[in-house]
Amino acid sequence: MIENLLFLATPFAAVVILAGILSYFGTHILSRGIIFIDIAIAQIAALGTMIGLLLGYPEESFQVQLISYTFTLLVITLFALTKSRKPFIPQEAVIGIIYCLGLALALLLAEKIPGGSNYITKTITGNILWVTWGKVLKCFLLFSAIGIIHLLFGKTFKNISLNNQNTNNLIREKAYDLLFYLTFGIVIVKSVLIGGIFLVFILLIAPAATSTLFTGNWRGRIIWSWIIGIAGSIIGILLSYSLDISNGPAIVCLLGLFVFVLAFIRLMLPNSISE
Amino acid sequence: MHQTFSFLLVPFLASLVLLVITSYFGIHVIKREIIFIDIALAQVAAMGGIIEVFIENKLHNIAAFTISPHFSEIISYNFSLLFCLIAAIIFTYLRNPRIRVPIEAFIGITYAVATTATVIILDKGAGGDVHLHDVMTGTLLWTTWRGLFRLILIVSIIGVFHFMFRKHFIELTEIYHDKTKRLKQYRKWDFLFYFTFGIIIIEAIRIGGILTIFAFLIIPASFSALFAKEWSRRIYLALCAGILSACTGLYLSLKLDVNSSPVIIILMGILLVAGFFIKKLIFIRPDHKSL
Repeated sequence: MIENLLFLATPFAAVVILAGILSYFGTHILSRGIIFIDIAIAQIAALGTMIGLLLGYPEESFQVQLISYTFTLLVITLFALTKSRKPFIPQEAVIGIIYCLGLALALLLAEKIPGGSNYITKTITGNILWVTWGKVLKCFLLFSAIGIIHLLFGKTFKNISLNNQNTNNLIREKAYDLLFYLTFGIVIVKSVLIGGIFLVFILLIAPAATSTLFTGNWRGRIIWSWIIGIAGSIIGILLSYSLDISNGPAIVCLLGLFVFVLAFIRLMLPNSISE
Repeated sequence: MHQTFSFLLVPFLASLVLLVITSYFGIHVIKREIIFIDIALAQVAAMGGIIEVFIENKLHNIAAFTISPHFSEIISYNFSLLFCLIAAIIFTYLRNPRIRVPIEAFIGITYAVATTATVIILDKGAGGDVHLHDVMTGTLLWTTWRGLFRLILIVSIIGVFHFMFRKHFIELTEIYHDKTKRLKQYRKWDFLFYFTFGIIIIEAIRIGGILTIFAFLIIPASFSALFAKEWSRRIYLALCAGILSACTGLYLSLKLDVNSSPVIIILMGILLVAGFFIKKLIFIRPDHKSL
């Protein structure tokens, strides 16, 4: 038993860190209504990796990572800057188009790279059991740095997310938005490498959605998201261990079904919510 | 030359039929902001199919019970329909002023849960194998006449149904984000919308694949939003943009010997970006305020 716990200590630490940062970002993402942004970012990052490979650099080399990051951040910058006050299509549709074009290009490039089809969906399955303490520490340091940025500018980010900024200074707003999306992009690319697309997606959306069902208060939403995200991940790993199923899917199903159950409970409760 | 055209005839007709229905549904999807619904419903339907295989295998192990492949395919299809029906009911009920989470979030969670649940079931021995890439891009070029007729049949039934009750469907979509409206009296139409959409998706994905149908829904409808507001004009514009991309794409894919779907999708993307810049340059005064 002790050995098992020691074996699970690293994945536990990893999910706690992931849930910590993703649940916070999830509250923003949900308020902005750009639910699928992480899947689009992961797809663009995968496309970036493929471009690196196509240029002849070996897989997992520094150059490939650099190209992947640069490419991803470039697309995110474009996305952040093209946001307009009166959009002709919703931002989620823009994300859909980015995702779809990214995947289509990846499929075309895959034919040009030997064994290329492995990279298209490489990021879909991550396995949190294979994470090492070194990676956990690196993530922790990186996410802490991003956390500090968000502590400093949290209020402005919140106002932009909730769409109640009172300044008419568009350039200032765009600059903050860009900072938000760049930090978010780095977090997503890093976490998808550890947990895979679906785990990251569910940690972003499910805890934030659950807490939003019951409270309208920003701080309350974030705190409850943390509790639900961290508790859900730990219970998920324990469940996966005792039922002998993979841990990522176990966490995803657990947290996902939890949202639906609570949503239907919410429907039955009288309509009174603290704002 | 003649051979090329006869070879491309069936895939072209299939794209045409698909585009007719996706141009219409795409406008609904964008106005409702349920962008990824196609991917989610496709995954739910796939999960239904996998569960059927799982049950069949268990039955076979317990009672040496075998079903003929043809019959098994029919049951599998019904399982997919059943799961789409359940998803339609859930999405209809969760569109409620009390639930302040956008429906797109539930769609996303459905997608994630359905995909990972499928992985778990396959792990536990459904015996089948998921061919992710085939499902993703489909095989538009290899559409058969039989497949085409089946598609035409289902698209016509659903199309006629939506045309007859277009007033209800369009009215509901127009007020979908109006928080002040009680949507109770529209619930029936909301359910019918999701369910008929699910049926179309199951059918369309057999021919075009998830990604292609996703692109067919979103990109032409976005293109039409640039230049028009009325539904009929938007459908017409979306259809034109779609057909242009599909024609060029199919021809190019044959000439360059690459997979047709990604080429069509990228052409649609290019057309959308071009449309965006043309609008910026030519229409200085935007003739519509917002969506």
